[in-house]
Amino acid sequence: MTLPVGAAIPPFVIEVNPAAMQTWAVFLKDPNPIHLDADIVRAKGLGDRVINQGPANVAYIINALTAAFPGGTVKSLAMRFLDNVYGGETVEAGGTVTAVAIEGDLRITTCDMWLKAPDRGAVISGPAVVTQPAF
Amino acid sequence: MSFPPPPDVAGTSLDGTEPYVIDADENRRLCASVNAVPDPDGKAHPIYYYIATQVGMGKTVAGLCAACDFDVDDGPMMGSSQVEFASTLRTGLPYRVTGEIVSLNRKSSRKLGVMDVLAYRLRLIDPGGSTALETTNIWVLPRRELA
Repeated sequence: MTLPVGAAIPPFVIEVNPAAMQTWAVFLKDPNPIHLDADIVRAKGLGDRVINQGPANVAYIINALTAAFPGGTVKSLAMRFLDNVYGGETVEAGGTVTAVAIEGDLRITTCDMWLKAPDRGAVISGPAVVTQPAF
Repeated sequence: MSFPPPPDVAGTSLDGTEPYVIDADENRRLCASVNAVPDPDGKAHPIYYYIATQVGMGKTVAGLCAACDFDVDDGPMMGSSQVEFASTLRTGLPYRVTGEIVSLNRKSSRKLGVMDVLAYRLRLIDPGGSTALETTNIWVLPRRELA
């Protein structure tokens, strides 16, 4: 599938499961308790729910890209973290195609991507580039 | 208002000591955790750009913070993460991690007060010696004691 400039990246929607944060703590070898214990989050004044790991949020954006460009390859990402994502929230990753170029036998698509949380808008945003066979 | 300068850590090596292997079973569990379908031919989820470099670098998160004279319990925050892939990540391959701290700058903001902005760059090197990816992460280290 190819998408023209201005096309929307179909949204990837997921409910953030606190149990998944425990497995990500193992993947990342990072036992930061703000991802594991809501009491710690409260004690630090950061809210009342566990906070999702930042790279897990980026993974949702990657999922939106790989679903939008089957057989494509993610070549680059430049994501800014604007706010936290909390356990139990349903977040939506999406974006817009901003440029398309053909270089040799590759179609290079640049997108502005985001992850949105309910009531708070974008919590992550930034450009991404995906390549696909051009022909 | 002026503050004491942050530690001079630019150039500090973050080279890993052991290869990092993306375990195929872990990749399946990671894909399940984010509702992704694992690739049947051994491609790893691209988010391993972050996990492999972060876990495989030569310092733990706490150690990286300590190098910046910052207590990890004071809550480092991710500011941004950028990556350029040169090749697709695959499970089962021993990747080597190289990298270094790029900069540590002290700033003041209305929202966060005094903070240090840490930039560090990591590379994942495949078994053939080619760079599979290069990533640069920016972390914000709040310096509440200087507020």
